[in-house]
Amino acid sequence: MAKASDRRLNWRRGAGLALAGLPLLFLALAFFLPLGNVLLLGLQEEGRWTLARVRAVLADPYVRHLFSFTALQAFLSTLLSFALGFPLGWFLTRYRFPGKSLARAFTLAPFVLPPITVALGFFLFFGHTGYLNNALRALLGLREPPLRILYSLWAVVLAHAFYNAPVFARFIHAAWSSLDPALEESCAVLGVPRFRAFLTVTLPLLLPAIFSAAALVFVLCFLSFAIPLSLGGARFATVEVAVYLYARVYLDFPRAAALGLAQLLVTLALAYFYVRGGALWRGPQARLRPPPTQRFPSRPVHLLWILWLLGSAVLFLGPIFSVFADSLSRPLGGKAPGLAWYRAIFSPEQSPFIGTSPLGSILLSLEIAGLSTLLALLLGLGVSGALRVLRSRALEALLMAPMAVSSVVLGFALLLAFRRPPLNFLPDKYALVLAHGLLFYPFVVRVVRPLWEGLAPAWVEAARTLGAGRLRTFLTVEAPLLSQALLVAGAFSLALSLGEMTAAAMLSQGELVTIPLAIYRFLSARRFGAASALASLLVLLTVAAVAVWEWLGERTLRAHGQA
Amino acid sequence: MRKLWVLILALALLGSARELVVYTYDSFVSWGPALAIKEKFEALFPGVTLTWVAVGDSSEMLSRLIAELRLGLPTADVFLGLADVELPRALAHNVFQPYDPARIPNLADVPSDLIFDPTGHVLPYDHGYVTFVYDSELLPEELVPQTLDDLLRPELKGKIIVTDPRTSSPGLSFLLWTIAHYGEGWLAFWQRLIPNLLTITKGWSEAYDLFLAGEAPIVLSYSTDTAYSYIEHGSLRYRVITPGGEAFRQVEGMGIVRTCRDLDLAHAFLNLVLSVEIQELMPTTQWMFPVNARARLPAGYEYAVIPERPVSLPPELVGEKLEGWLSQWQRLLIGG
Repeated sequence: MAKASDRRLNWRRGAGLALAGLPLLFLALAFFLPLGNVLLLGLQEEGRWTLARVRAVLADPYVRHLFSFTALQAFLSTLLSFALGFPLGWFLTRYRFPGKSLARAFTLAPFVLPPITVALGFFLFFGHTGYLNNALRALLGLREPPLRILYSLWAVVLAHAFYNAPVFARFIHAAWSSLDPALEESCAVLGVPRFRAFLTVTLPLLLPAIFSAAALVFVLCFLSFAIPLSLGGARFATVEVAVYLYARVYLDFPRAAALGLAQLLVTLALAYFYVRGGALWRGPQARLRPPPTQRFPSRPVHLLWILWLLGSAVLFLGPIFSVFADSLSRPLGGKAPGLAWYRAIFSPEQSPFIGTSPLGSILLSLEIAGLSTLLALLLGLGVSGALRVLRSRALEALLMAPMAVSSVVLGFALLLAFRRPPLNFLPDKYALVLAHGLLFYPFVVRVVRPLWEGLAPAWVEAARTLGAGRLRTFLTVEAPLLSQALLVAGAFSLALSLGEMTAAAMLSQGELVTIPLAIYRFLSARRFGAASALASLLVLLTVAAVAVWEWLGERTLRAHGQA
Repeated sequence: MRKLWVLILALALLGSARELVVYTYDSFVSWGPALAIKEKFEALFPGVTLTWVAVGDSSEMLSRLIAELRLGLPTADVFLGLADVELPRALAHNVFQPYDPARIPNLADVPSDLIFDPTGHVLPYDHGYVTFVYDSELLPEELVPQTLDDLLRPELKGKIIVTDPRTSSPGLSFLLWTIAHYGEGWLAFWQRLIPNLLTITKGWSEAYDLFLAGEAPIVLSYSTDTAYSYIEHGSLRYRVITPGGEAFRQVEGMGIVRTCRDLDLAHAFLNLVLSVEIQELMPTTQWMFPVNARARLPAGYEYAVIPERPVSLPPELVGEKLEGWLSQWQRLLIGG
């Protein structure tokens, strides 16, 4: 008997491997091969293989200093993002209030903003003559600006938290909403104090999501380029600045590749560490019913939450609303401001500045975001499924490479992949859809994996015992249970695609002007008001796209009797 | 099946059409004269398409061009937007082929001191001057710097915004300017300048936007800024300084790419960009000076400054020394 079940297990494993192999094969050919080709430039000298170049780069004390500073700022940024994101995730899970889905969609707004717009928002809001300082000065009757946040390490860390706290909030919200409320209820019945129940039951179950988010945030901050330079000033350069310098200024690609390789090893090692750490904790159950929520505000203790929300609003909404305010108040040719810049960017005479009409830009960005999100979800699910079968943490860490690699190196890898056969037949637009799918599937994997791992195998086995096929089991049991994760992952992918620049710049042969590219063109044309107006539209568009996506998703869920 | 034939026919037609692909930086298209050049060029050569590819700054486009050449991918026929100080590195990568002066008659109108490439690969198409601009409503008259040394005055603590020489072209120009001006003493100058810098931004747009927002009264920018704000907004609030009569000269160049498919069109393009008609667009689109001596400057350009003593360094010297200079500069600012 044992033999027969072994054989069946082997057969299942084989079929699983074959199915899992497909997305992996696609990734290998379309992404990892070209990426390897670029990075290996750093290991070759006159046709021979050598580590000399990598060693030479790493022997430079300046580069070493960059590595330690980059790691330090990424660590501090991850910590602050967690500290700000955790309560937000908690709040979104525990309370219900009017406009909640819109507020939730808004948490992704910082994520899409091009770094130059975030820098602008920070300057306008936290600057020495910014809104915050001016308000405080008027309030306290001071002459000098009381808050000197900008142009320091804290400005960098704060801006990174602004970008990434939503990642923590979203991940924690998704994981928490999938917990079985029966667990906490049992604690209550057994008389365990709520604080202890949280520490001993809920928090350990949230750890995989926290680790996953921390891995993402650390890697994103480690690779950050424009934010440290713009908000901290040149003194706060990251490793990425050195890669940029080698590739763009000295035009020394092998050296850029050598440094890019060293940088990737660091980020992947961290990814591996986090993947391992996250795997140490397993969620035991997926929920059978949604967790109970409290109406907000309904109790005196909620006053504390209100204070905290006000504080967060200053940090998160301040810079965004500063960009809105800027777009409404900047004078345009002596005319009264107001909506003048919005009218201007939709009038034909501004089109030459960006090479297309802003409306065309918006529609193009939306189409690319929609299609690439679907692709990222498919790839992400496929890869997560493959990882369930293969169970290799090293492979799992390696598969995060699209987001763990330097954007300069990434640009060249995309050039190599998409401008050569067999992918060069794709029109620019679809090449970009494909590239975005390849770039953003790691987000889907990071959100889906911890939840899928946490699914009790008993459910799948029950369905199988009742005679459901593997596919049917996936569609009727696993997919609905993962739907919360898929919704979150899809929202991230939408937001990321709307804000992405590197791939758009590398794959475009001139016609492809996405919204962030249009914002940059307005800026370089001194149309600062137009740039602010378009950036404001990008924020609103993202919030709307994410809200519609989640609304559609939840409606589908309800139709299936889930949410 | 019919669809397929239509497609093949369309592709064949496309394949036979003549096209000239030109790489440049994004602002040459977004506010530069690119569209005017395209219209004029296509009118001169009916049936020919001029395609601008401009998705990034000059260094991004140049490194993309080099990567495409290295991989044997289809790429540009002409590159427009090479900074003079980039020349040695571009030549080292064998990007350009020599132009034939006989096929570019308008070259006769370009003064020889602007022709920065003695090897005959790259031609200038405009020039400008990097210097400081101040906000006359925020900076008291007596604090306006008259020399580079004046930038070090303690009263200017935290009042100057410059751009990063590693990521921005005016930033690099300023670094080279201090080296040309102070020689060996340039590091000492920077050491004393640091307290007066509010910040060093990644690019010119951020620096200028901070300046417009009133964060600091002095910014590193271009000598045509007063003309710009006068012509566009009728304002003389932002004024150009040329410390000690100096400003750093930037000449921008264009060249025919090694793999160019149509040398006739490429030469015709270079000739058109140097024509009086296109050159007269440079002042109010690029906000740079024309290289054609016969091109007239528009009204309002009396506020644009050509410094008494333009500063520049030989490109070969920059090519040889730049890495060392930037690494000394980084060590001073960042440590390590």
